[in-house]
Amino acid sequence: MSKIYRKGILALAIGSAFTLSSLAHADIVIGVAGPYTGASAAYGEQFWKGATQAAADINAAGGINGEKIKLVQGDDACEPKQAVAVANRLVDSEKVKAVIGHFCSSNTMPASEIYDEAGIISITPASTNPKITERGLTGVFRMCGRDDQQGIVAGDYIVDTLKAKKVAIIHDKDTYGQGLADATKAQLNKRGVKEVLYEGLTRGEKDFNSLVTKIRASGADVVYFGGLHPEAGPLVRQMREQGVTAKFVSGDGIVSADLVTTAGGPQYTKGVLMTFGADPLLNPAGKTVVEALRKSGYEPEGYTLYSYASLQAVAAAFNGIKGTDGAKAAEWLKSHSVNTVLGEKSWDSKGDLKVSDYVMYEWDDKGKYNQLP
Amino acid sequence: MSQTSSSFDLKVVLRDTLMVGLVSLILFGPIVGIVLDGYGYNVEPGRVGIMVAVVMAGRFLLSLFGQTAKGRDWIESFKRNDGGVHVLPPGHKSNLRFILPIIILVAIAFPFLATKYWLTVIILCLIYVLLGLGLNIVVGLAGLLDLGYVGFYAIGAYGLALGYQYLGLGFWTMLPLAAILAAVAGAILGFPVLRMHGDYLAIVTLGFGEIIRLVLNNWLEVTKGPNGIAAPSPTFFGIEFGRRAKEGGVPIHELLGISYNPNATMIFIYTVLFLVVLLVLYIKHRLTRMPVGRAWEALREDEIACRAMGLNHVLVKLSAFMIGASTAGLAGVFFATYQGFINPASFNFFESVLVLAIVVLGGLGSTVGVVVSAFVMTLLFELLREFGDIRMLVFGVLMVVMMMWRPRGLIRIARSGFAIRKGVAP
Amino acid sequence: MDGIFLQQLVNGLTLGSVYGLIAIGYTMVYGIIGMINFAHGDVYMVSAYLAAIGIALLSVFGLHSFPVLILGTLIFTVVVTSVYGWAIERIAYKPLRNSTRLAPLISAIGMSLILQNYVQLAQGARQQGVPTLLDGALRLHIGEGFVIITYTKIFIIVASIIGMGLLTYVIQKTTLGRMCRATQQDRKMAQILGINTDRVISYVFIIGAAMAALAGVLITLNYGTFDFYAGFIIGIKAFTAAVLGGIGSLPGAMLGGIILGISEAQFASLVNSDYKDVFSFSLLVAILIFRPQGLLGKPQVTKV
Repeated sequence: MSKIYRKGILALAIGSAFTLSSLAHADIVIGVAGPYTGASAAYGEQFWKGATQAAADINAAGGINGEKIKLVQGDDACEPKQAVAVANRLVDSEKVKAVIGHFCSSNTMPASEIYDEAGIISITPASTNPKITERGLTGVFRMCGRDDQQGIVAGDYIVDTLKAKKVAIIHDKDTYGQGLADATKAQLNKRGVKEVLYEGLTRGEKDFNSLVTKIRASGADVVYFGGLHPEAGPLVRQMREQGVTAKFVSGDGIVSADLVTTAGGPQYTKGVLMTFGADPLLNPAGKTVVEALRKSGYEPEGYTLYSYASLQAVAAAFNGIKGTDGAKAAEWLKSHSVNTVLGEKSWDSKGDLKVSDYVMYEWDDKGKYNQLP
Repeated sequence: MSQTSSSFDLKVVLRDTLMVGLVSLILFGPIVGIVLDGYGYNVEPGRVGIMVAVVMAGRFLLSLFGQTAKGRDWIESFKRNDGGVHVLPPGHKSNLRFILPIIILVAIAFPFLATKYWLTVIILCLIYVLLGLGLNIVVGLAGLLDLGYVGFYAIGAYGLALGYQYLGLGFWTMLPLAAILAAVAGAILGFPVLRMHGDYLAIVTLGFGEIIRLVLNNWLEVTKGPNGIAAPSPTFFGIEFGRRAKEGGVPIHELLGISYNPNATMIFIYTVLFLVVLLVLYIKHRLTRMPVGRAWEALREDEIACRAMGLNHVLVKLSAFMIGASTAGLAGVFFATYQGFINPASFNFFESVLVLAIVVLGGLGSTVGVVVSAFVMTLLFELLREFGDIRMLVFGVLMVVMMMWRPRGLIRIARSGFAIRKGVAP
Repeated sequence: MDGIFLQQLVNGLTLGSVYGLIAIGYTMVYGIIGMINFAHGDVYMVSAYLAAIGIALLSVFGLHSFPVLILGTLIFTVVVTSVYGWAIERIAYKPLRNSTRLAPLISAIGMSLILQNYVQLAQGARQQGVPTLLDGALRLHIGEGFVIITYTKIFIIVASIIGMGLLTYVIQKTTLGRMCRATQQDRKMAQILGINTDRVISYVFIIGAAMAALAGVLITLNYGTFDFYAGFIIGIKAFTAAVLGGIGSLPGAMLGGIILGISEAQFASLVNSDYKDVFSFSLLVAILIFRPQGLLGKPQVTKV
């Protein structure tokens, strides 16, 4: 009986594969892939809100080459294994012509390979790991900066503005965190500052006291942390508790109001510095979009507008080549610039943005962050 | 129901229901009813009400049912400790004779019909079948709870990626090598710890699995740490299946002069994997009928008796451990080549739990059960992708309920029976 | 260097006393029914949420003085967590008392998954935190260096000692404690002597959960942040501590916790914090191989 079970499921599987593939032909289907479940689900929602708003606006303005955009979700839950399955499903079952995604760098890595193999373009609004565009794939783009660009901004700031002599570099042993820490380290070394401490901490832990004591012993006057807010919060708190007054500098992984919650109050996060893209809410081009999103009851935070801009770029490329061919669209994007909600954007031959716009932010004593002049 | 319920002790039923309601109010009240938001909170009494009501209604029905004769039998059946295996009558012919050829036919036809997506899903299913079969030997047959099983899986996967990176070894060299590597790792771990009491073993293996993952994550110079590492695609005597040749071979579509088929890589992996699964199934089938297989099961049932009979328990356990580990190593190689990229995040504790759940739900020791539950589980995961958050909860509930309802799994081990033939040497 | 060494000692001591409190739950359950309560780490996690909820609730009612706030939270957390401990035993372990040896262990893993995902679904996946309640620190100068001990840490160490003392009193001096010890030594004999062993086992789970709740409140105060996954790592570390001290032995659990905490801090300080967890797991494996009965445990004799 059990074997019949298996056969039935197989039949079901094959059957549904056929029905799925025969569904989508009328419109231009574009996949929006990211974590819609799991710990990073909030970022997936940002992707989806931004993309749906963009699709609605573009469709209202006539669509792509007269055809309407239809978006489909792909949930990778920030697990590489699921990203592969989702990428294949988007390519084969949904017949997407382009993909906006993914979020986690470790997911974008294997998934973009599948998109490239299938000859469709993919634009990630958030994956900053440098390796993504360093693998010779022709159809992979990003709408955000790279960790090494972020590292340069942070490194220069530490040397030029903070005039630090002793820098401790801490990372969370994850693709994003360590990549960022290494990029900053490289820039610091280039500028002649050798780090006094370079160590990792374990994600999910909360006790960093022994590490903090080590930082204290090293006499660092700046601590650079590559990682996310769940670890950054307790780390900065335990530093202050042990009387370490060194400046705390980090990247775009701590851009969340939860940083204050996890640190035990704004008295600990006051003065924390971080690099992040120039505030898109300040950009005049985005004003109407921001208003439209706010009207629908959604505050366009984080990567919402990056996702919006990614879809704009796809639409512009398809309109530019009067078709949906991936290879031609990739060529078009590399030779033209697109006017997006984030401003004028253009890409180099690897698919990276030609100009990155990372700037420094500082957290104040009320638990908010402000762009430094 | 209302007419017959007068013969029941309704008071007991109501008392039970109220008690359960009170307890669930204490349990769910704070956690479900008060949702933290920053340093403040939002009150959501509606959810608590629904949960308490559901629990109370469930308890009420259960108590009512428990008062009927049928219900009493049913509750008794939980307490019964259904022991061991059941022996089939001599000369029993399994239905598998008819079903097996059909499945093989379906499996052969499958790659020609399916899209790439379904190919990848079925490949994943087969990888879990391999993992389940391996762990089934360790947990199901030998009764050793191994919570670090994913460590051997990681050894296989990283074996392929690192072997390719540093030694230039390809898929075919690494396939047997990874199995041997994992088996050696199993022996190194197993030898000192296998004298231990069962529960200690679970913790030590858990620690070992975590050590492997942590080392992969921290040993940047070799494994590239959390950034992960690329794994090569399989080749077949210098023939490649990608769009462009990467290993210096010839892409198959150029060789045969046909148009490029993006499914080719997956079809090839699927074919090899399917053959390997069949091979492992056969080996396992034979092993359980050999003395060593009998010894595993005997040791699981009563270790003291076995040692009294002169069985070398360490060697027997070690063999189970090594065979289980080598199967995981094989699965790891397929996983790496299928995904083309691996990082330590794929080998965390939950992966071990998932494989354990497959084995437990399928029936500890039952091969058919493991194959079925690996398919059901993986397909369920794919089909219920939208219910991502709930599926792990469902998983946990399944594990607890299964242990109460059928501690030996859905499909119990059936042992073939033999009649003694007169006048013929057996 | 002196100051640094002492500071690491203090770091290890606070971490270790917390490990010890959670380890008690493992060690008592193991002592009495011989199973690893895998869900115990997650009971601690639930209690951390309860502590934060308690603090949030009481703050809204206008209670801001530290002793009242902490006492109220403690009582609330201990009571509710104890009910959790009791319910878990009732649902997942009691029906399996006479089942196969693997069954309760697998059911415990299932229970751990249930608790984690239940809390995640109810409270969301984001990081949670509590505000800092006890500000300030003690600063001791030693030679050229100095040691900073926050008041929260002093509070943790004191509260752990009081909790341990209370527990030792209950186990050594009261009828309940005598029943627990009798059941631990020989369950069948205790049953014959008229002890309701099922009830004693329930009490043990309640006591274990209460100690985990104490740990939950203390840890939440000290680190100020937690998530639904927090029980896993700390649960394994606490189990290591229980094994290190000798499973089944109460003072052993505390001692094991403190030794583990201190050696982890010193390892991170002297060698490298990247491999800190590898070190603790290796320590666990080494102990189980060379001294399975732990530091204070009695060697187990298998009757044949």
